[in-house]
Amino acid sequence: MPMVLLECDKDIPERQQHIYLKVDGEDSRDYLPVSNASTIPGTLSERGCAFCGAKLVIGGVLKDTIQMIHGPIGCAYDTWHTKRYPTDNGHFNMKYVWSTDMKESHIVFGGEKRLEKSINEAFDEMPDVKRMFVYTTCPTALIGDDIKAVAKKVMSERPEVDIFTCECPGFAGVSQSKGHHVLNIGWINEKVGSLEPEITSDYTMNFIGDFNIQGDTQLLQTYWDKLGIQVIAHFTGNGTYDALRGMHRAQLNVVNCARSSGYIANELKKRYGIPRLDIDSWGFSYMAEGIRKICAFFGIEDRGEALIADEYEKWKGKLDWYKERLQGTKMAIWTGGPRLWHWTKSVEDDLGIQVVAMSSKFGHQEDFEKVIARGQSGTYYIDDGNELEFFEIIEKVKPDVIFTGPRVGELVKKLHIPYVNGHGYHNGPYMGFEGFVNLARDTYNAVHNPLLKLAGTDIRGTAPAAFKEAAE
Amino acid sequence: MGCEITSRDRAGIINPMYDCQPAGAQYAGIGMKDCIPLVHGGQGCTMFVRLLFAQHFKENFDIASTSLHEESAVFGGHARMQDGVMALVRRYPHLRIIQIITTCSTEVIGDDVEGSINVCNKMIKEEFPDREVYVVPVHTPSFKSSQVGGYSECVLSTFKTIAKKKAEPSGKLNLFPGWVNPGDVTLLKRYAAAMDVDASIFMDTEDFDSPMLPDKSIHTHGRTTVEDIRASSGAFASLALARYEGASTGEFLRDEFEVPHHLVSTPYGIANTDAMLRKISEITGKPIPESLVKERGIALDALQDLAHMFFADKRVAIFGHPDLVIGLSEFCIEVELKPVLLLLGDDNTKYKRDPRILALKDKVNWDMEVVCNADLWELEKRLKDPDYKLDLILGHSKGRYVAIDHKIPMARVGFPTFDRAGLYRQPTMGYQGAMLLGEAIANAMFAHMEYTHDREWILNTW
Amino acid sequence: MSPEQVDQLFGYVQERCLWQFSSRSWDRQENIDGILATATDLLAGREPKRDTPMHKIFYADALLMVGDFKSRFPWIAEVAPEEADALMGSLKDRLVEHTITKSLNHELNHSLY
Repeated sequence: MPMVLLECDKDIPERQQHIYLKVDGEDSRDYLPVSNASTIPGTLSERGCAFCGAKLVIGGVLKDTIQMIHGPIGCAYDTWHTKRYPTDNGHFNMKYVWSTDMKESHIVFGGEKRLEKSINEAFDEMPDVKRMFVYTTCPTALIGDDIKAVAKKVMSERPEVDIFTCECPGFAGVSQSKGHHVLNIGWINEKVGSLEPEITSDYTMNFIGDFNIQGDTQLLQTYWDKLGIQVIAHFTGNGTYDALRGMHRAQLNVVNCARSSGYIANELKKRYGIPRLDIDSWGFSYMAEGIRKICAFFGIEDRGEALIADEYEKWKGKLDWYKERLQGTKMAIWTGGPRLWHWTKSVEDDLGIQVVAMSSKFGHQEDFEKVIARGQSGTYYIDDGNELEFFEIIEKVKPDVIFTGPRVGELVKKLHIPYVNGHGYHNGPYMGFEGFVNLARDTYNAVHNPLLKLAGTDIRGTAPAAFKEAAE
Repeated sequence: MGCEITSRDRAGIINPMYDCQPAGAQYAGIGMKDCIPLVHGGQGCTMFVRLLFAQHFKENFDIASTSLHEESAVFGGHARMQDGVMALVRRYPHLRIIQIITTCSTEVIGDDVEGSINVCNKMIKEEFPDREVYVVPVHTPSFKSSQVGGYSECVLSTFKTIAKKKAEPSGKLNLFPGWVNPGDVTLLKRYAAAMDVDASIFMDTEDFDSPMLPDKSIHTHGRTTVEDIRASSGAFASLALARYEGASTGEFLRDEFEVPHHLVSTPYGIANTDAMLRKISEITGKPIPESLVKERGIALDALQDLAHMFFADKRVAIFGHPDLVIGLSEFCIEVELKPVLLLLGDDNTKYKRDPRILALKDKVNWDMEVVCNADLWELEKRLKDPDYKLDLILGHSKGRYVAIDHKIPMARVGFPTFDRAGLYRQPTMGYQGAMLLGEAIANAMFAHMEYTHDREWILNTW
Repeated sequence: MSPEQVDQLFGYVQERCLWQFSSRSWDRQENIDGILATATDLLAGREPKRDTPMHKIFYADALLMVGDFKSRFPWIAEVAPEEADALMGSLKDRLVEHTITKSLNHELNHSLY
């Protein structure tokens, strides 16, 4: 089966290279969607920008760091109250956002003084906070403000503070993915190795590519505590600035989200010889496998087996209850990228769910190699899907539930299809054993929502849905 | 004692109250039927604003992006603008309006929007000779004004593009409510009908609260049509309810087509609503009907139960859009609440000279601060002083943690109110809106009394 | 060793593993070489190397994979130690072809991460 040109795309035929329908006997040597490529203007794509990939996804997770956004107010306003990543210190990261509030005169005459003043003010207003990320945005990048020089000056005047600069204007790259890259590479170049961590265990690792969505990091941390493994740095869930400076001392890098954070794991391997272990933290068998691999690396297999046995004892029965009831449920996954390949097989194996369509906002071809290898035949694999394509795909595959963001969720609600928040979750965490039971529960409750069944009924008695219900 | 008007004295902002201009322009844009705004800038400028609207309304709205990338930053984004317009026109056959909303990046690059629109118009005419699609230039650099000005700018630009000639007398009243909720639009329509006035509401956002239907059809869009805007130049008058969010279009219709233009205080609270209805009566010669006298009485009756018993002397901070904050402060004074801190959030220098603010200055006999160009840190910073006492916060959901962390009851009002259910459906304007807001304030205070065991027993017998 | 047996092992790796899909071709090659060498040792009953960090990571990945091979494909118990080399060699060829030489991934050979 060649790549698919949807009816809605007849006027933008280049979209055919981005949509693949897998059939038996094919693999990614034959077809691989073009991805990480420029979006066609005006298509109502779901993509964000490089700035948000850096600030909102990675940097803004840190629990002890001021996020100074050098630009007009919108970039700050828009990347605030749009994520669910709590911290164990009262959610400092979710409560505040900082902006230099650039105005026209700063565009004309330069904004460096404005930035310097804003940085100093922020430290003065919050005297307990000593760490900062500074981001460029579209206009400050275009006018060429030297944010590194400003940060250097402030650091020389305030020796107790440390500032990291991230040059990731929204127009850079084709999606948020560029911002992930800029932040990863900037951090390893400038900050890793600048502070020695305190080592408290014979077994040390970094946990990379997990952003504590609804407490994922904190749940997994209970596992590492039981195993006696010290996590030197969480990149960046519930993480701190200084912990990330000590990443070079870990014995192992465990990577969950390879898309947003694989770069730093690769660089840590190249520069410091720290091996990279990719795991899937969503799903029972995956989580158990990840724990087993980590423990095999450290030679503490017994501890791993004990933990897994405990967790299975606690949660497997609950998972199976849902599995029995979710058999054959058809799911679509329209998220960022990696969750496509993290989830397609885990929901199939652990919950009996069939994933019938997947769309990635910012995945690269590597992500499509992974998901096409893991996913089923008869399933659509879409890069940078847009609204009309979603409608057409829904008609073709008729999903029972869609894992996607709240806005698309509101859209598909009108089609009587429930959504589960595939980004921020409904009621997570979703990682780990307990987390996957949460995911199963939210999926079950979504699919069995009585209101959505009522929605199909026309009270005048003319709707086909009414007849269908009578026939059931 | 008295009212002091200041401005934020920090350069930077900690926790903004408003989004940038393009966000406001997008809100105005989605108020039109058969319309998809096209934001000329990075993708985040659209994606996050769509998310913001989805958070507030629990609905999806269609807004497109030109997906500006590096090569456009170097060579200009004209091709992407034109490609974007044509992709929309080709794939959405019903489309009649596309606002091209600029952002900071495309204004800095200096893309010629008007020139590109000429190219688009030719292409549309050639490819679709039977279709008429208005492509509207909306210049909203993010480094000027705020979402407030952006809203106003997009309404004005859309009218300038579509209302090109004087229409036949329509017998209609143009009503510009500003950036309000569907609940307010519904209320204004009800009031106009009660007064037997044929009003066109710009923008008509009533369907931003849209149903799940058996046939799965989607009706989440504005109701204002091309015809409505064309007809606006033949209206017998315009009435603007928000000085900073719609008045400029009324002025345009006056200057260009001699449509008499009127501006009233934003109708929050009883007296402001009285003034609006009197003005409508004065313009139209229609009497204010019995039903509105009754509704006014019900609101007064309800608020009277709350005012001197629960509200009197309670110190209130209010933040949000300027017309809302000023209107709410007038409402607060009516119900004996004491507004002590008003935060207005952008660098518009006109706020300090706003007649309503000057009137407050004359009126208050307690310490009151009006901070212009404010952020929410102005509020939080004051609360860090243990001697600073506040009993109530009125504002939108972006300020929720100030209330949560400082344990101050907060009634959500304005935009966005994503952390409370269904508020967009309720009016805040009019008598009914005043009553509902008063009751929401009371209930927030009551719940707070209960959770903090602060004389909660008073309510045993209320 | 039959082609079907290699198919089964290859199918397993593609479905369960991530290491063959690392970002760059040299990482893929390094992982495929290292993990399959360790797996060969494990299948042949030889003690695999675990002295360097890279040996340890190959061991961790290989151990789980070989464990799954044994539980999913009973025929593997019959594979003689000297056949393990050839079997893993065939698997390696298949993986290299799919994920490196015939991969359509345009980013595999960027010089930087």
